[in-house]
Amino acid sequence: MADLEKDLHTEHMVINMGPSHPVTHGTVKFLVTLDGENIVDMKVDIGYLHRGFEKMCENGTWQQVIPYTDRLNYVSPLINNVGYALAVEKLIGIEVPERCQYLRVIASELSRISDHLTNVAAGGLELGAFTAFLYFVEARELVWDLIEMLCGARVTVNYVRIGGLKNDLPQGFQDKTRAVFKEVRRLWSDVDKLLTKNRVFIDRVRDVGDISAEEAIAYGFTGPCLRACGVPYDVRKAQPYLVYDRMDFEIPIGETGDNFDKYLVRMEEIQQSMKIVEQALSRLPDGPINLDLPQYRMQPKEDIYHRIDSLIFHFKTVIDGIKPPPGEVYLAVEGTNGELGFYLVSDGSGKPYKCRVRPPCFALTAAMPRLMKGRLIADIVPTFDMINMIGGECDR
Amino acid sequence: MSKMTGLEQSQYHPLVGVPMATLKPKQVRKNIHLTLWEKLYVFEILRGLFVTGKHFFINLVGFVLPPAGKKRKVFTVYYPEEKVTLPAAYRGRPVLVAGANGAEKCVACGLCEKMCPAKAISIVGGERAGGERYPVSYTLDMARCVYCGYCEEVCPKEAIVMSSEYQGLAQRDRAILRYSKDQLLRSEESVKGRLDYIRRIYSKCSY
Ligand code: SF4
Ligand code: SF4
Repeated sequence: MADLEKDLHTEHMVINMGPSHPVTHGTVKFLVTLDGENIVDMKVDIGYLHRGFEKMCENGTWQQVIPYTDRLNYVSPLINNVGYALAVEKLIGIEVPERCQYLRVIASELSRISDHLTNVAAGGLELGAFTAFLYFVEARELVWDLIEMLCGARVTVNYVRIGGLKNDLPQGFQDKTRAVFKEVRRLWSDVDKLLTKNRVFIDRVRDVGDISAEEAIAYGFTGPCLRACGVPYDVRKAQPYLVYDRMDFEIPIGETGDNFDKYLVRMEEIQQSMKIVEQALSRLPDGPINLDLPQYRMQPKEDIYHRIDSLIFHFKTVIDGIKPPPGEVYLAVEGTNGELGFYLVSDGSGKPYKCRVRPPCFALTAAMPRLMKGRLIADIVPTFDMINMIGGECDR
Repeated sequence: MSKMTGLEQSQYHPLVGVPMATLKPKQVRKNIHLTLWEKLYVFEILRGLFVTGKHFFINLVGFVLPPAGKKRKVFTVYYPEEKVTLPAAYRGRPVLVAGANGAEKCVACGLCEKMCPAKAISIVGGERAGGERYPVSYTLDMARCVYCGYCEEVCPKEAIVMSSEYQGLAQRDRAILRYSKDQLLRSEESVKGRLDYIRRIYSKCSY
């Protein structure tokens, strides 16, 4: 063998995958050192989608940050909205009414469904299962119709407000949700039939990208990727926020943390999220959705039109921004890829002094070299897909 | 996990620290080894073909015998010929509302300009002979606007609303997208539906 290698002049080859490559759904570059088809070394180059989110926040008022957060994880913007609003509310020390909390749970779970649908669909597509992609994109479209009905846009939702919500549930939302979920469940079982026992799919994803629980924790994994290793860590259960402690749902866990486990966990989470939405809709209490605190949440329009004190508060909160007391706060919510944290510092002025985001997929992306060393180059595709790195969130 | 504390004997999860009963973990990796039947592949292909075939035939029947009120039972919307029905909440391009006298209702208070997260609006305010304020120029850069709806939300005069227009927003020149006051102005009737909607969602009863 050694003789052979001497004659053949085998050398390592360094190739670039990306920044714009079909498998890199965010813009990201892999610098892969190859020995034949085996990956000897790998470097991940991120930052191609850096838009200066954190700096931008410092130049906007606290309310103006909400549309910016839509652009973090653009597949599940509602969760980002909820996370940011909850962090600011924690900083101020207020709690929103119960109906609002239920509505935020519904909104977050709808977002989670759409994100997992997208991820599984794209994962299938990249391994050649185009049909599964079409079915799940149809399902996602239906969920997005629901979101559009609720907030007026499919992706750039801008729905959650500090101390409340933009609007209440539209009429006919419950019936539409029931119809949509029926369809999503039908498409889910079709995709399940097409992929879960499919030998081609299993051969590509099973035992690829596996990682032990200890190592995953050491890398900072959270979310479906950690649950796939068998650790049932979910922020919704570990540090319940909103009304998640009143919801009855299970945490799907895998065993080895390979891509097949990640796929199974995500598939199961779609079902669990639909369960949560149904529960929340059936228990939805009546009552207000916004806090009556004019220095933080705008007053209803009638008051603004007709009452001078409301109008003054309105002008003051819009022009100066709301003013949380000085202090700092960290709050994490369960994003679709894991723990999405917001660390906010306020100096008592109308603008955030610092707004730092803990993106879940940064830690996941950082583990790519560990997952890929010694494997084949073709394994990058399913592994990177199941990591589900979202450029907008990772690079900010 | 090698150095476990005494916690694992209790009903708490050793790594998460939450009682197992609330955690409810559910093992999803089951029967992962394929049976011989599944390994043979031919039957699995047939099963897959059955799933895709079902979709194909349902769509085919839907073409011939469309469901009531629809042209065909397919999910795709054939865009320029067909259009999707937009929900009442839909946020299209922001437009200025004209009052009864045909002039804009806007009083150039500058709230929308201040609130706009994309800094798309620029207003030059002035005063009419009667002392009434009005915008001498009102420019909205559609290429900057992110359609967030904040301008509509903060306006104290119902002078700017999100219409349901979404066409013509792709241009070859950014200058075309800088809309002036005349281009933005719409009569009150044409945005009546939206005005009703915002009165409803921002009213006291739904607060
Ligand atoms: S919709 Fe948003 S971005 Fe567009 S003009 Fe209004 S406030 Fe600005
Ligand atoms: S908020 Fe309304 S009234 Fe004030 S400047 Fe904007 S459009 Fe005119």
